[in-house]
Amino acid sequence: MVNVEEIRDYAANLLKKGEVKSVLGFRRGSASAFAEPCTITDVGEATSLVWDPTCLNNLTLYLVKDRKQQAAAKNPDNRPVGIVAKGCDSRAIGVLLQENYFKREDVVVIGVSCEGTGVVDPRKLSAKLKGRTASRVTFGGADGINVSVYGDETETVIPAREILADRCLECRAAVPALNDVVFGEAVGAREFDEPFHAAKEAESLSADERWATWEHHFDRCLRCFACRAVCPMCYCPECVVDSTTFVVTLGTSAEEKANRIRWCERSANTSESAVYHLTRTIHLAGRCIDCGECERVCPVNIPLRLLNTKLEKEAFEMFEYQAGHDIEQASLLSSFRDEDPNSFIR
Amino acid sequence: MTKRTGVFVCHCGKNIAATVDVKKVAQELAEDDGVVFSEDYVYMCSDPGQTAVIDAIKDNDLNGMVISCCSPTLHEKTFRDASELGDLNAFQCEIANIREQCAWVHNDMEVATEKALKITRASVRRVQHNQALEPIGVPVTRRALVVGAGIAGIQAALDLTDAGLDVVLVEKQATIGGNMLKLSETFPTLDCSQCILSPKMVSVSKNSKIKLMTESEVESISGFVGNFKVKIKKKAEFVDPELCKLCDDCTPVCPVAVPNEYDVGLTNRRAIHIPFAQAIPASFTLDEEACLGLDPVVCGKCEEVCDVGAIDYDKKPTVTEEEIGAIVVSTGFDLYGMEHMGEFGGGRYPDVLDGLQFERLCSASGATEGHIMRPSDHKVPKEIVFIQCSGSRDPENHCAYCSKICCMYTAKHATLYKHHVPDGQAYIFYIDIRSGGKGYEEFVQRSMENDGVIYLRGRVSRVYEKDGKLKVMGVDTLAGRNIEIDADMVVLAQAMEPSKGTAEIAKILKIGRDKDGFLAEAHPKLKPVESVTAGIYLAGAAQGPKDIPETVSQAGAAASKVIALLSKDQLAHSPTVAKVRDPWCTGCEMCVDACPYDAIALVDGKAHVNEVLCEGCGSCVGVCVRAAIDVKNVTQLQVHEMISAIMA
Repeated sequence: MVNVEEIRDYAANLLKKGEVKSVLGFRRGSASAFAEPCTITDVGEATSLVWDPTCLNNLTLYLVKDRKQQAAAKNPDNRPVGIVAKGCDSRAIGVLLQENYFKREDVVVIGVSCEGTGVVDPRKLSAKLKGRTASRVTFGGADGINVSVYGDETETVIPAREILADRCLECRAAVPALNDVVFGEAVGAREFDEPFHAAKEAESLSADERWATWEHHFDRCLRCFACRAVCPMCYCPECVVDSTTFVVTLGTSAEEKANRIRWCERSANTSESAVYHLTRTIHLAGRCIDCGECERVCPVNIPLRLLNTKLEKEAFEMFEYQAGHDIEQASLLSSFRDEDPNSFIR
Repeated sequence: MTKRTGVFVCHCGKNIAATVDVKKVAQELAEDDGVVFSEDYVYMCSDPGQTAVIDAIKDNDLNGMVISCCSPTLHEKTFRDASELGDLNAFQCEIANIREQCAWVHNDMEVATEKALKITRASVRRVQHNQALEPIGVPVTRRALVVGAGIAGIQAALDLTDAGLDVVLVEKQATIGGNMLKLSETFPTLDCSQCILSPKMVSVSKNSKIKLMTESEVESISGFVGNFKVKIKKKAEFVDPELCKLCDDCTPVCPVAVPNEYDVGLTNRRAIHIPFAQAIPASFTLDEEACLGLDPVVCGKCEEVCDVGAIDYDKKPTVTEEEIGAIVVSTGFDLYGMEHMGEFGGGRYPDVLDGLQFERLCSASGATEGHIMRPSDHKVPKEIVFIQCSGSRDPENHCAYCSKICCMYTAKHATLYKHHVPDGQAYIFYIDIRSGGKGYEEFVQRSMENDGVIYLRGRVSRVYEKDGKLKVMGVDTLAGRNIEIDADMVVLAQAMEPSKGTAEIAKILKIGRDKDGFLAEAHPKLKPVESVTAGIYLAGAAQGPKDIPETVSQAGAAASKVIALLSKDQLAHSPTVAKVRDPWCTGCEMCVDACPYDAIALVDGKAHVNEVLCEGCGSCVGVCVRAAIDVKNVTQLQVHEMISAIMA
């Protein structure tokens, strides 16, 4: 069982010694039981850190944001940042390290093991509670999540299988492999669902059925870009669909300004939305570590995880590649092996 | 700048015009934005055609043009040269391929015309965004590397030094000469192989412009055409060739015997040995793998008997780096392994031989001093069966291709056999007789008429041993009957395959291989000695099965290509190279990993392209998720424009 006091002490100590400029972690949210991301810079704030099954976010996103802020700052503060990271989050840090987005010494990874469970899916929990709001959600051992609701503080144990996020059910590595310290027991494997379970299930449909399904999903897409905003891998200076964040520097030629390409329109219609999502999927191939954030933040419930895990499944089955597992490894898209079993390489 | 684009649509005689309405293409394109001139002509690449292009550029003040014709691999250079003659930058000229990619693959004129329009229109939209570019000048190292010193490598090296170039000649074996050394006589003139080869070998050893490195292999390469840096690893030189007097005192004391490569395993040799009497370099050599461990405590006998102290067990392998301008790869062939020919008793019966082993039996320098006898009992074979296409032309089980030389050398083998054993009978099983070549057909005819060789058209199903004979079960398809021969010896005309190590050298040098594993030429007809990598050329059987005359011709051709390349003070490198757009680059290094030419490195956190190394292949563009890298004149904008033109 993770003792949250240890996390708090560790974070406080990092700040006290000046080893980090801030620590990214979770604190109690202002409403309901769900934790929210926080950045603490004072030793005293460390007591507000929490760890429970509502620590949903992949805080790696804020590492990316910090790096962007420092790059733009007049007097950049490039001291290391501490970050509370689950297994999946640590893989995201791994991919960013693989891609040289920052250096290993720029980050202190405070790893937390999910100890054989994971984080809850707010939608599943809400459905389970039939309209009541959870006031407190805690780990209840390997197979259960303790939940109490407002107005009734008695804890009910809900089987983890029923309310864990889909990605947690399929998780293969719930212990942060990349870390400076790990709290909690190193229970990595779980047996809720086989890896890529959801993607495999989706594959069993016919091509026509799949297209009909995705047409329906893309049709609903609002193009709010929340999926992109929440994804730590979507850190490109200019996104293929954007025309607003075009980077103009001293080196940008008039021709470049005049010749910006619009591969995909920002407005929401089925075809443009399909191009947007498929482009994002391809751009994440071999980079998605399945934190499930895109799907969680989608306001219209598009099962975006399926697109990404499908490609990760291909990467794993064809090339034995797992995103973020080995920071020394060349990225999937840019590497090639002479011993590749496929016949087109010789 | 106002676009003033010209379009030139070629009929290619009837090649294009029979399937594509070329007039319609020219007329419709004339209406396109920025197109100020559009015409068709029967042969655009002819002199009047090119003159029309040059005149049109001048008369219409064109600042871009598209030639709608055949593949750019054929005439891109032609029209870019014409472009320059018209004072239009060569890189403002693009080719739209409406022949290979359109006319030749369609029947329906209406559809093909529509497609030709789209292909041409896409090129027009592309060229309207082309930049004027100048070739990149690159200095040249006037020194060549030849990899593999068989007849191909020897010929190439000698031709190169004749032109005044310095040559580094690298050979994996202890002597130069390759497979040709093992041959007895050569078809169709039956002159002695060694007699024609050894003078060339001596020329190599006496040539001060050739740095000969035997027992050496290319370890790595960096750099680019005109400026390669090649690391060459030489095995430890335990016997100093300067000191060795060739007295042969060392071999009698050596306790180790291993199969002799030079005799294709028909005889044994010692761990310390000279490959053969006329070896170049003329020195004994110590086989590290066979030697009892290079440990004087264990053996050390050869060092004890060497009067001149030429043997030193403490020698280590050395790696040298050579600066090289161009490379000829001539790594030769091996015979397809006998172990694959189980149905013919290959690798199982001592009297079933491959072609090279039979050469050694016929050769005066061979184990039997030129007497043909069975390895098993040293009896003279009275009935001998040759099986052609053994391992060749059999896509299901073995090699799909024809090994080309086997028809001829089998005829030669049968003739030589009859010369050695006049009362013997030779049978040849064949599928076809392919005797294309000067004097070749006559040679085959002579073997039948003068030497009574019996040619049986058909295949052999099985060879097995019975009562001291090799039973050959075959079929004569012309007579329509099964054939059974009690043979004393069977010779398999094994397929040629690329020599062991061809895959490695291809990988090290970053040159391609074809589906059969031979080194790939850049174009099967027009660039038969060029590899796909600039500055690296191919010669001999490493590129495909071929006989000695053809090998020598190709070696000369490769040498002349190198001579032409290195005759210039500067090389022109194509300027259509990758360019990084710094603001977009996040320094993720995916392009660095993906670049097959090691042309990209990270400088100050951003990708940086070495333009001289870059071949403009676009691999980097494909992997960059940030769209931060483009190839000049194939920018994303241009690709977008082309797609828009096609989809419109």
